[in-house]
Amino acid sequence: MSSTIAAMPEPGRRAKSRRRRELREVTLLIATFAVIFGVGLLRPSFMSFSNLEFMVLSSVVLGLVGISQTFVIMTRGIDLSVSAVLGLSAMVFGLLSTTNNMPVWQALPLCMLVGAVLGCFNGFLVAWAKIPPIIATLGTYSLYGGLTFIYSNGLQVDQVSQDFENFGNANLIPGLPIPTPVIALLIVSVFAWFVLNHMKYGRNILAIGNNASAAYNAGISVRRTLLGVYTISGALAAFAGLIFVAYTGSATATTGTGDHVELQSIAVALIGGTAIAGGRGNLAGTVIGSVFLSVVITALVFLQVPAIWYSAGEGAMILIAVTLGARQGAKS
Amino acid sequence: MKSLKKAFLISAGLGAMVVAAHAQTAIDTSKAIRVAMVPKLIGLSVFKANEQGSMEAAKLLNINFLYTGPVTASAQGQVDIINSLTARKFDAITVTSNNPTELAPSLERAMAKGIAVVSYDSDVAPDARDFFIQDTAYPAMGKALVDSVEASTGPNAEVAILSSTPDATIQNAWLDAVKTYMAATYPNMKVVTTQYGQSSPSQSLSAGLNILHAYPQVTAIIAPDGAAEVGAAAAIEKLGLQGKVFTDGTSDPNSIRQYVKDGVIKASPLWDEVGEGKLVMYVARLAANHALKPNDTFTVPGLGTYTVNNKVIIFSEPLIFTADNIDKYQF
Amino acid sequence: MKSLLFGGVWDRALALILIALFAGFCVFTPGFYNGFQGTLSITEEFLPFGFVALGLSVVILTGGIDLSVGSISGLAAVIMAILVKSYGLNIWAAVVIAVAVGGVLGWVNGLIITRLRVEPLIATLATNFIYSSVAVALAGASPPYGFGAAFGVLGTGAVVGWVPVQLLIFVVMAIGFSVLMTRTGFGRRIVMIGYNRDAAHYAGVSVASVERRAYVISGLTAAFAGIILASYYDAVRPDMGDILLLTSITMVVLGGISIFGGEGGILGVTLAVMILGVLRQGMLIAGFSDMVTTMLTGAILLSSIAIKNLFSSRGFDLGAAVRRFTALRRPAKS
Repeated sequence: MSSTIAAMPEPGRRAKSRRRRELREVTLLIATFAVIFGVGLLRPSFMSFSNLEFMVLSSVVLGLVGISQTFVIMTRGIDLSVSAVLGLSAMVFGLLSTTNNMPVWQALPLCMLVGAVLGCFNGFLVAWAKIPPIIATLGTYSLYGGLTFIYSNGLQVDQVSQDFENFGNANLIPGLPIPTPVIALLIVSVFAWFVLNHMKYGRNILAIGNNASAAYNAGISVRRTLLGVYTISGALAAFAGLIFVAYTGSATATTGTGDHVELQSIAVALIGGTAIAGGRGNLAGTVIGSVFLSVVITALVFLQVPAIWYSAGEGAMILIAVTLGARQGAKS
Repeated sequence: MKSLKKAFLISAGLGAMVVAAHAQTAIDTSKAIRVAMVPKLIGLSVFKANEQGSMEAAKLLNINFLYTGPVTASAQGQVDIINSLTARKFDAITVTSNNPTELAPSLERAMAKGIAVVSYDSDVAPDARDFFIQDTAYPAMGKALVDSVEASTGPNAEVAILSSTPDATIQNAWLDAVKTYMAATYPNMKVVTTQYGQSSPSQSLSAGLNILHAYPQVTAIIAPDGAAEVGAAAAIEKLGLQGKVFTDGTSDPNSIRQYVKDGVIKASPLWDEVGEGKLVMYVARLAANHALKPNDTFTVPGLGTYTVNNKVIIFSEPLIFTADNIDKYQF
Repeated sequence: MKSLLFGGVWDRALALILIALFAGFCVFTPGFYNGFQGTLSITEEFLPFGFVALGLSVVILTGGIDLSVGSISGLAAVIMAILVKSYGLNIWAAVVIAVAVGGVLGWVNGLIITRLRVEPLIATLATNFIYSSVAVALAGASPPYGFGAAFGVLGTGAVVGWVPVQLLIFVVMAIGFSVLMTRTGFGRRIVMIGYNRDAAHYAGVSVASVERRAYVISGLTAAFAGIILASYYDAVRPDMGDILLLTSITMVVLGGISIFGGEGGILGVTLAVMILGVLRQGMLIAGFSDMVTTMLTGAILLSSIAIKNLFSSRGFDLGAAVRRFTALRRPAKS
């Protein structure tokens, strides 16, 4: 059993695992471009700037939730409540934008605060009440979903203020044709990468995921780290909800939960190369993975595959990605 | 002679009063009854509009009104609720169903217990209800949807369809009417693709964007579902295609108001949901009173006279929202 | 053994809660008590969850999970309906075939997990997408319905006038599963694998084979639940089974089975099924909305586990926390 070793394997091993991780990101990137060019040859409009922008934009929400899920999975946990937090945030702030005319720059920190609180509760359940993450977040999934419903009182968001709409669609830097949400995703990704690879907190997360008791013995405060991870997850999920409502201009009581975003975020994290057993995370893989997923699903539409098979395509992709990953992981 | 003429006038007057009085007291509201309205799901504006009309009518009809439904468009959720209403011995259940057959056994159980069952909008199996209120005649709806396309982009348009789910009964009924009318009247109009938005605004938006990207030759999207029409319109605006691509569908005026004003939607057919809510309560009251026959006529003050044809009542002609009239309707 | 003893206490607590709940609703909620048969027929609404929970228990006891139960039940129901309506097959033959198909689908899950070495969560997540897509494709634009009164007996009929057929089947199955888990070698091996996979392997248990069989069982019960649903609603839809998953997991966990495997018993699950079912139906009849009852189920799930942890841990100090983390760790799969 390799349980006595903490997050830092010996140098040779580390180089090998880093190479393997890079392999996954590169593979995904190549695969994405392959699909784009392949389908683009058949249907040139697939490669139009408008379509490319659309595919990337529609992957932002999933990418953000995927990042939060990656953090949680790295600690050997799982967060099923992210979709409920997303929906709650989308509904609350969508309504606030129209009824209270709340500006985006006020909504942003507020929504992350709300998400952090909700995530913190998850962390409390996992770290203090010792409830297994899958159960704890299953419970909060229905609780938070109920909150959304109670808050909305049967209403739905049909449009948002111009301020919100610009946030979700316009390009942040005039002249640079990159919409704000994409920039937001990039910023979050870079920040997350920094935390994971260059901060003690990130190393602690990996250590806990690898072997919690060894981490504890090494002096890491397991409970506080876990609490932090779930809090981050909640905050990011809420942020994703804000972007969602800003981009689509709509929210209903079943936003997020109805599309099972939580399952999709797990899928994206796994496709990206994060191990479900914890201790190993691949943020770049998650982000590229969500773009890849978006590209493939759009490709199915362009290839005129009947709509009923889209779900199967998603499932098949998860299997393929994960089987390849499991083979690589098995060798460690 | 004068006295004869006077007598004649008086008796005519009395007769008229008797007739009028009879018409006004035609609906027996002496006993308070409990009526429930079970929409496909709580939280959709069109059903809330139904609720609004029903609440107004309930007050006039001595009805204790309950509006309850599942959170997601689930037939099983509706069955659970119907069973609980049966146990609570409600007098009448009104429902628009997520699935015509799955609700049948529970509704039949309710009817066996003496509860009146009235379906509206999306019907159930005919044996499982006393009466069905159809929003509008299906051929008329199909015609309205297609005519609106023709008026915006001409009779040779290439059209896409954005529906809710492949097995949505009422959407399919409308789409059948659309295809029949289109083939008969505008044979050069083609449907190039059918996509599904799962009645979710965001998925409908994605589906709309996919249609516009993958089929750039499409100049009109027929979206016979509340969320689908909004999604299609939002997609058109997002890609800056207003003026080149149009959409129509069956959404409530509040949701599509901005798109109608922006010209993305020229004419969108629906019906007065609030009025339909009123009618549902009237039919429920009559059914609970056992005062309505499978072939009959009756009058609703403020709405008009309705014919019951083999237990089916058609509410109205399609009400078409345009930039001129949309502000008159707030639901 | 600690787990047995603990199981005893937990089961007794569940039984008390069930009785209190049932009695409370009968007394305080008009309409709940509807004559003997009427009240028992309430079970018809939630027993399909119970069938799934039984099969899911076996899988969870091995430390795995099956996220595809919902789509398997939908797919099995659709296959049965199509065999009857489009191919004119005798309905009972179709039922047998459909349930067998469920077993095959479960076996596929097992293969992916054991041969391709994919974690159960991911494997069944992926197969869930795939199976449900197949179900939607097969069902088409107008899913079949109307299967006749004989078939309807399964979901809505009663034996001897007052015992619902579903309840009878459930009780028989529960007893069968309990015997399977506690008195057969297979059952003991399942628990051993869940408790400590490596130890089971070194003890000579063919872990992969047993695990595959666990997923077959889960597939069979899921398919059976789908058939019952088809009988109850007299119609099939490809997404019929979607609601089964989360509530069934809640029932399994409330019943005392550890999500990590190796702990808990069928009796607890049976009681949990009844508790959650009676609670939901009672609340609906009392007039609470669908939303509130769903939230309450979530709250119950959380508090029940928290309480369980409170009783079984040796305190909340960090030492216990560490021991908990160590105990919960599954050895890294090699």
